[in-house]
Amino acid sequence: MRWRSALVAGLGVLLSVGQIAAAERPDATSLAAEIDRLILEKLKTTGVSASPLADDATFFRRLNLAIAGRIPVPSEVRAFLADKAPDKRARAVDRLLASPAYVNHMTVSWNGWLLPEAATDPAVANAAVGFKVWLRSRIRENASFDRLTSELLTYPLNGRALADQPAGDGGTDAANGPLAFYTAKEGKPENLAAATARVFLGVHLECAQCHNHPFARWSRDQFWGMAAFFGGIEKTDGGTLREIQGKRELLIPNSFRAVPATMLDDREPEWQYKKSPRATLAAWVTAPDNPFFSKAIVNRLWWMLFGVGLVDPVDDFHDQNPASHPELLDTLARAFVQSGFDTKFILRAICQSQAFGRSSAIADSAAANVRLYAHFPMQGLSPEQIYDSLMVLFGERTETRGDDGQRRQFLEAFAVSGRQTESPTTILQALTLMNSKQVGAATDGQSSRLLGGVLKLPGLTPTERIEAIYFAVLSRPPRKAELDQTLAHVKGCTDGTDKAHADVLWALLNGIEFRTNH
Amino acid sequence: MQWGHDASWTRRHFLRSGAAACTVSLSGWLSRLAYAASGDPKRTRSCILLWMNGGPATIDLWDLKPGHANGGPYKAIATKAPGLKIGEHLPKLASWGDRLAVIRSMTTKEGDHGRAAYLLRTGNLPLGGIDFPTLGSLVAKELHREGADLPPFVSIAPQRFLAQNAFGPGFLGPLYAPLLVADGQRAALGGANNQGVDQQLKVENLQRISGVGADQADRRLALMRNLETDFLASHPGAIADSHRSAYGAAVRLMHPETARVFEFASEKAELRDRYGRNLFGQGCLLARRLVERGVPFVEVTLDGWDTHANNFDGVKNLCGVLDPAWSTLMADLKDRGLLESTLVVCMGEFGRTPKINPQKGRDHFPNAWSAVLAGGGIKGGQAVGRSSKDGMQVEERPCGVPDLLATICRAIGIDSEKQNMSNVGRPIRIVDKAARPISEVLV
Repeated sequence: MRWRSALVAGLGVLLSVGQIAAAERPDATSLAAEIDRLILEKLKTTGVSASPLADDATFFRRLNLAIAGRIPVPSEVRAFLADKAPDKRARAVDRLLASPAYVNHMTVSWNGWLLPEAATDPAVANAAVGFKVWLRSRIRENASFDRLTSELLTYPLNGRALADQPAGDGGTDAANGPLAFYTAKEGKPENLAAATARVFLGVHLECAQCHNHPFARWSRDQFWGMAAFFGGIEKTDGGTLREIQGKRELLIPNSFRAVPATMLDDREPEWQYKKSPRATLAAWVTAPDNPFFSKAIVNRLWWMLFGVGLVDPVDDFHDQNPASHPELLDTLARAFVQSGFDTKFILRAICQSQAFGRSSAIADSAAANVRLYAHFPMQGLSPEQIYDSLMVLFGERTETRGDDGQRRQFLEAFAVSGRQTESPTTILQALTLMNSKQVGAATDGQSSRLLGGVLKLPGLTPTERIEAIYFAVLSRPPRKAELDQTLAHVKGCTDGTDKAHADVLWALLNGIEFRTNH
Repeated sequence: MQWGHDASWTRRHFLRSGAAACTVSLSGWLSRLAYAASGDPKRTRSCILLWMNGGPATIDLWDLKPGHANGGPYKAIATKAPGLKIGEHLPKLASWGDRLAVIRSMTTKEGDHGRAAYLLRTGNLPLGGIDFPTLGSLVAKELHREGADLPPFVSIAPQRFLAQNAFGPGFLGPLYAPLLVADGQRAALGGANNQGVDQQLKVENLQRISGVGADQADRRLALMRNLETDFLASHPGAIADSHRSAYGAAVRLMHPETARVFEFASEKAELRDRYGRNLFGQGCLLARRLVERGVPFVEVTLDGWDTHANNFDGVKNLCGVLDPAWSTLMADLKDRGLLESTLVVCMGEFGRTPKINPQKGRDHFPNAWSAVLAGGGIKGGQAVGRSSKDGMQVEERPCGVPDLLATICRAIGIDSEKQNMSNVGRPIRIVDKAARPISEVLV
């Protein structure tokens, strides 16, 4: 494995991130092959056989949902199906990773993970506008992830107000962004420590706030030792946040004990004169040999694509929650560091793997354990994916940045918790997709752009009309049996062909295939 | 139309998806067992859980310590039951004292909102891997009726953010998932949305798309189910089960007779006023309507009890909502002959510190707190268990969560030791076998 020897050499000369010579940069295709090797190795021990690869249409839709956060438009699907190039899947991966839709989708995703409060707290949601601007600019330039993390953790707090953030784009606005992270956590050291640990270290520290963690090894002192890095932050009288310089310990609330700022791996912090404790923390978090950071990030990226992490839940690494494929996790983590913490590189490698490209159909119930990756784990679409896909479907595709009220209402109604691979449909969601005004308009021959095209375009055969609906909703051509059924429905419909086609559109929209990533 | 005939399905999937889902249409021919409320002697019991979200200061509500420094400014007042005193800001409930059983010796160890809510609502601490069902789902599974149009579990105004996995059916499966009404909504005290309470409690999209007649609706539903059969068969699992279940339940909910339960037009304005024209008050009214129609479990959330600062103002304001709502609920249930068959539970995830903090607040305190049971199966007019003079410890008859949940099961006539199959392959009892029901409060 050529890339492996490069890795060994690279580690040996690793001085600082971002200065790795081009010849030593790991290669996505080789990493993809390594992913598959390790997956198959484990599969062999279980006797479960891997499913065949998914067909082109299924793969293309899956890729679009994973990278762009929405279904593809019919013309893109048809072009992909017609493409004869043998490497068309890899090229589709590259195209999508270079698209604005990717930037959008990653921004929304990281925003959700870093500022979960924005979903329920309108004040935080307002502050999050600037946060998203900053995030988006970093993602667009594919900033190395250690740099992004450092920027967030070391954002200077000098009593500036959040209030006057204009909602536009641009350098200075982007620079204001990270502040929202601090205000969302109310500037409280314990909240900041918990959020930092969860997202950047994959560790669920909060339980250790009051007492030692029940089954992980974190002690109460370690929690507060971590919080102490944020110990200098306080709210001014004006409600803004500022930081007292040089404070390196924190008083545990309701006690008389002060705990010094300590790293989770009990290493001595490398204090430097005049360097903020948060800078010391950031340096430790993003250090190439930090055992938590790279694993936490690649695990989260894996989870984003597969709906389940190598460690799952993704922010709860501990001894009783081991990785399903420990060597694979290590390999991905090392490659991530080696690449200069390049998230796009990791996504590219995973999307090129066969594990990502397998069919999701289950022939054998023994293969149903999704964490073997014998088949692609079917997942429910996230509320954002459903909404954005509906917009594509209804012909209202926008790479929108603003959060309009309709979108937010929809997202709230469709919010679900729990594992993506077990996403429930709720009664309210079913009612929305069956009866809402928007669906009504989209399934009405007069008002629907999509149906209007299908019904009014001259020269379309009955089969082509059905195909158009299938391509639009399910991003694939209909199978023979489906064609027979739907054509029979249209022919036998006493209410007229307009209503019959509206029925087909409605039926596919409400079916399970549309609302899943399979 | 039958769709369970596909031979590749296992019986387990068929059962999980619910046989009732097969025979449903949108045109409403299905016989709805309109439940005669009061006259039916075999009427199964229902449970209404009044969930006090945030951890209520029960030391100011149910177990006051006047004369002690921890007591704060509020007095205890006499109730209809001799010897039983409750907080002065619950005067209307005081007149129902003979129907209330106050458990003053609840003691738990969880002081974190998420973990404590999970513990109280499922009877277990979060344990990686096992998806414990919430109490409402457990009860719904035991008491639901075949062919009922309303879902067996309704949750009104839930605040799920901090304990998202404590509000679902867990390993019991999607049939027992709650219908969420006013999900995440808060009391609209002139709030930003300016929505009326009626709008908050509305279940949207219960009516067909305009222009779509009953026959067309049936046809497109049948088409949908036919077209997805193959995909469902080749992609079995939780997502498929939940999808089918939700659509079946949604279709049943759309029947005009059923959908009407969510409309308040038939209720007298005077009654609505007595409940209180706020989210919790009208939520309690909706709970009565649902119970009247045979829904076995309804929970109504009153949020705002996390009073780390200004506890006494907070408690007073919240009592201003709780007192009229619950007392009117008791009266309403009684008037309709439903009180004997409806258990009402009032609890939060923990209590609050007897010691008052510098912000005039009380902080989380699981060590000694109170829960209240009333109505069907309950011997009211008493307090069970005792906390110390300073409120810091339980002195007599400590009760844990399993004890309380086992008591609830007894009161509504379900077997707490019954087992359900979990998602990790081992059967798990509704309530831990070691639980000791608080027999003093049971009829």
